[in-house]
This record gives sequence, C-alpha cells and structure tokens, in this order.
Amino acid sequence: MQHRNSGESSPPARSLTRRAALGGGVAGAVLGPLARGAGVAGAGVTDTEFVLGTSAAFSGPSMGLGIELYRGAMAYFEHINRQGGIGGRRIVLKTYDDGYQPDPSVRNTMNLVLEDGVFLLFGYVGTPTVTRVLPMLKLFQNRNVYMFFPFTGAQPQREPPYGEFAFNLRASYRQETAGLVNNFYDVGRWRIAVFYQADAYGRSGWAGVRAALAERGETIVGEATYQRGTKFTSTMRRQVEILQAAQPDAVICIGSYAACAAFARDAVDLGLRVPIANLSFVGSENLLKLLTEGMENSSQYTDLLVNSQVVPSYENVSIPAVREYRELMARYDPAPPAHMVSEPYTPFPQSFVSLEGFLNAKLMAEVLRRLDEPPTRAGLERAVFAVQGFDLGVGELISFGPARRQGMQRVYYTVVEGGRFVTLEDWDAKFAKT
Amino acid sequence: MAEATKVKKLFQKTLFGVFSLFGFIALSMSALCIYTVDTHLSEEYVSNSQDIAKTIADSSVDIMLNRNLAALQSLVDQFVEIQGIKYIYITNETGEFLVHTFVPGIPDEVVSADPMNTAPVERTLPGMGDFVEVGAPILAGVAGTVHVGMDTSLIALKIQRAIGRQIYLISGVFLVGVFAAIWLVNLAAKPLSALLAYAVELARQGQTTAEPAVLERNDEVGQLARLFLYMARQNGGGEPAKAPA
Repeated sequence: MQHRNSGESSPPARSLTRRAALGGGVAGAVLGPLARGAGVAGAGVTDTEFVLGTSAAFSGPSMGLGIELYRGAMAYFEHINRQGGIGGRRIVLKTYDDGYQPDPSVRNTMNLVLEDGVFLLFGYVGTPTVTRVLPMLKLFQNRNVYMFFPFTGAQPQREPPYGEFAFNLRASYRQETAGLVNNFYDVGRWRIAVFYQADAYGRSGWAGVRAALAERGETIVGEATYQRGTKFTSTMRRQVEILQAAQPDAVICIGSYAACAAFARDAVDLGLRVPIANLSFVGSENLLKLLTEGMENSSQYTDLLVNSQVVPSYENVSIPAVREYRELMARYDPAPPAHMVSEPYTPFPQSFVSLEGFLNAKLMAEVLRRLDEPPTRAGLERAVFAVQGFDLGVGELISFGPARRQGMQRVYYTVVEGGRFVTLEDWDAKFAKT
Repeated sequence: MAEATKVKKLFQKTLFGVFSLFGFIALSMSALCIYTVDTHLSEEYVSNSQDIAKTIADSSVDIMLNRNLAALQSLVDQFVEIQGIKYIYITNETGEFLVHTFVPGIPDEVVSADPMNTAPVERTLPGMGDFVEVGAPILAGVAGTVHVGMDTSLIALKIQRAIGRQIYLISGVFLVGVFAAIWLVNLAAKPLSALLAYAVELARQGQTTAEPAVLERNDEVGQLARLFLYMARQNGGGEPAKAPA
C-alpha cells in the first residue's frame, strides 16, 4: 500500500523527492533541533525546497479521487516551480498511497512526519482516513504538524479537539447536505432518504442531512448503507429495496463514485425514479463515466442525478481561476503518481476534483509565500491567518483566523446535460414534485 | 486354535469391563469438558463485550456532547475491527440510532428492541447470523446507550476447537488404554494356552515326548503344569513323579 518514490509529475522531480526524503528525514531528525536553534529553516524546508506530504487513494475503487486531486495540485505546483518556486524554493509533494483505508493512512502519516520530516501535510483524501490521522496531529502538536486542505467536508477537522491542527478550503458536508435538503424541500420533496457509506464519511453526511431536516421538523424517512470499497459491479438491490419501502421523494447519497453509480443504476432498474443527489466527494466525472460507458439507455441513469460541488464548474470560463486551471492543466497535463497507480486509469482533461486540487495548491502557495524567513512549521499558523480577503479567483474572498479555519463557503449544484455535468439553474423546473 | 480361543473367552468379560470403564470415563470427561469450556468461554466473551461496550461508552461522552457523529462513527469502526464483534450501534436518550455499523441497513429486530437495555440478549438476525448483544449506558444512560453484538458462531467455533482438542486427547488416551488392555490380556492368555495344550497332550498320550517350557515356569501356570504331569504319571505308570512344589 505504501509507495515512497513519487509525488512528482516528471522524472527529474521524482529524483528531487528522493533527495527530499533524505534531506527532510535525516536532516530533520538529526539536525532539525540544532537547525531550529540556530534560526534557520525547520523540518521539511531547505534552501531549495518545501517538502509537503500527502497520503491519498491511488489504488482501489476510489483511486480516481486521489489521482485527480493530485493532478490538479501538481498542475499549479509545477507552474510555480517552473517560475522559480517560492522564495527560490521548489514545492515538492511526497506522496503515499493509502487506498482510502484508515490504517495505511495512519502509517503513511507516521512515515511522513517521523521519517520524511515533511513541512506539512497537504491534500489528504477521505473522511475515514483523515479522522483517524487527526489524533496523530494532536500527538505531534509540539512539532507543529498541520494538515492543509483535505479532500473531505467532515466536521472532525473543523471542530475541537482537532480543528486547530487543520485548515480547510472547501465547504463542509454539513453545508452541502443542508443545501440539498433545503432545495429539495423548496420544490416539494420533503421525504428524504439517505444512502451512505458505512463509516465516518457516510455518518458525517448523514448527520448533515439529519440536522437540516430537523430544522424543518422532518426526519430521514429511510436509510441504507454499503461497505467502503464496494465496486460498481456489486449489486445494490437490497439497498434500493430498503429505500423504496420508505417511499422517498429524493435520495441523498454520501459515498464514492463506484458505489453511488451502482446504486443509481440499480435504483433506475428497480423503478426508484426519484432525484438522486451526490456530494462533491463522489467524483462526478468518474460517476458519470461508469453510468454512461457501455450502458444502454445511459441517459435514464443520469436524468435525475444532481451533484453538489464545492468548486464552480470547470466549464465556466468566465471565472478567472477556472481559466487559469484549464490553461495549466492543458499545459502540464500532470501524470498520476508514478509507481503508485497499478490499475489502468485514464485521467480527465478537467474535473471538479482536479479543480479543487488546483485551488488547494494555489492557496497553499499563497500561505507559503506569507511565511517569515526562515520558514518553520511554527510559523505556519501565523502565515495562514495572514490570508485575509484573498482573491483565489473563484468569486469568493478567502480569509482565515483562529475561529475561521475554512476558506470557502459556497456550494454549487450540477446536473447531467449532454453527457456532462453543468450548473443547475432552476431546481423547480428540474425537480419539482408533480 | 480352538483351545486358544476358548482361553481368551475367559477375558472377554474383563475386556468388556475395561472398555466400558474407559468409555464411561471418556464420555463423562468430554461432557464435563464441553460444559466447562462452553460456560467459561461464553462468559468470557460476554464479559469482554461488556468491557468493550463500557470502553466505547466512556470514550463517547465528549464526542456525543460535541455532536460530532463522524468522530463517533470513526471510534466505533475501530472497535468493530476486533475479532468476534459483528456490529455496534449507539442510541441516544430517545432511542434514536446515532451511529451503527449495519450494512445494508439496521435490521428490524434491532429497530424494535429496547434501546436502553444493557443486559445480554441473544439475537438471530436474518442474513447475518446469531449474536449475543450487550450494552453499556453513556453517562448512566442519560446520554444514550452503546450496544455491542458478538458473533456467537465465532464463539461456537472457538468453543468447538477447544472442545475438539480435549476430545482428541481423551480419545487418544482411550485408544491407548484399549490396546494396552488387549495386549495385557493376550500376555496373560498365552501361558494358559500353552498349559491347555500341554494338558490336552497329557490326557491323550499319558506323557509328552519332550519337556515343555510350561513346566519351567515359576508361576501358577508352571505349578499347574507340573501338577498335571504328576497326576498323569500317578494314573498312567512310568517312573514315579515327585509331587509338585
């Protein structure tokens, strides 16, 4: 599950990663305290590099999420590096695969912090993985290890006791689910059922739906679960039958693309014709690909899909950050991390997940720019809090502070039209209950 | 051979008695062993489950009060990885299910159960198997209850394995005892067979052509052989024989 040599989009950069591992690990462990005492750069920083560390899903049924997030981030880091880096320091991303499983994620984090001595943790993927890693950040609090912009909207990294060790960019699942519930409610769809992954991620979304419904005096009318790691080829017949019995007006899915696509397929096949909503984590393009490629009458599987997103549509080129993203993705076309992706995977030219990775990287670079010299982990929090009213290019100004550890608040809604996800303009026209 | 067989018949009842005694010991020891292992292991599993439920209940308080259900689910997911634990669910003070590990959904039997109950309950859940469910209150029950389901089939399997090992041992001892009894009986029957053959020959011919080894024995068989020879010589002539010692 663990792969030590990757994290770069090109071979020269890979060799940098190896050097960074030696530099960050050995120097950080042996010389780190002396170096800090002498007032020079701390662990994970050299005169030429910032070494960031990530653990994400690069294998298994959710590998598309890890790969796309990585590609989006690397497009921006590559751009920065080719411009000379930040203060002369290139950004190196040391990458491990956890397959979207908590235990490997914990082990990878141990390696990143204790052996590799990375400067910070960046771009982790998934709630069950991140929630298991958070206690380690508390354990390492004397080392000032922070997690930046994980690809999860769950609450644990936004609230005590671990919220102080993480910084988020994306809106939370609570905001996504509240938006979905409110919009469904407004078009007369009050009976909401939930299909969710049986773990912390699913529970986080379930709790969001429950809370949003409770505000309107309603409860979840039915719920069904699936095991993390379920593949598209698995049947969801039983889950559909459970939810059908509850006669919902809409189903909100809190899962990853393989399982949610399987559920949407079986729901349609078994006659459950209600809107099926997915959260941003699902990986919309991968979901759509599964429901359309090689499927007869694929439009019937996608007609009633509505996906919430935490970034704007990558089709909307009127947004400056989207234009920049599309340009840099086309220019660098970052490859999935070498030696880590064992299964065939065809990257998407653009995707919501890679756009999120790109925005994560862009804000990360801004934080690194605001570090005092010499850069140290201890200075990270101050640098983040110095981000006030920063224009990331998505039409939403970003600010951080001790009580504000999430950059963006906006949630977008998309539906499938013409074989791609487009912004939903009119809920009433699309989903009003007749 | 016929004589030899007849002689062995003398020991058939003894052998039967020995087999019966060994069999009774083996069966009674097995029964006691099954009862003891079953009782102790079952109690241990229930006790462990209660400990786990209590541990979860104790560690859930802060998380429950913070309403951080994702963290609570993460905590529960770690415990359900322990061998034998098949499901965990936590209900709040009103009986609402806050977190659980059921796939594809919460079974009707669990939904209809008393959410505040903490005493061990045996459950059969369709499609899942048989379980012993124990509970532990969170903050004396005012914050909710933790329920832990232990897979009884796994418990049964472990008990079977433990009992199996005991029965293998007892059966081994039984078989060794039986073969030892047969060997000892045959050891005792062999000189008797020789004595019988010698007595038959004396009865037919009044004397034997050669001195058989049976006359050299110092035990009761030897004494009987010498007595038969004395009696034969007293009745049939020939050189006078000394009375046997």
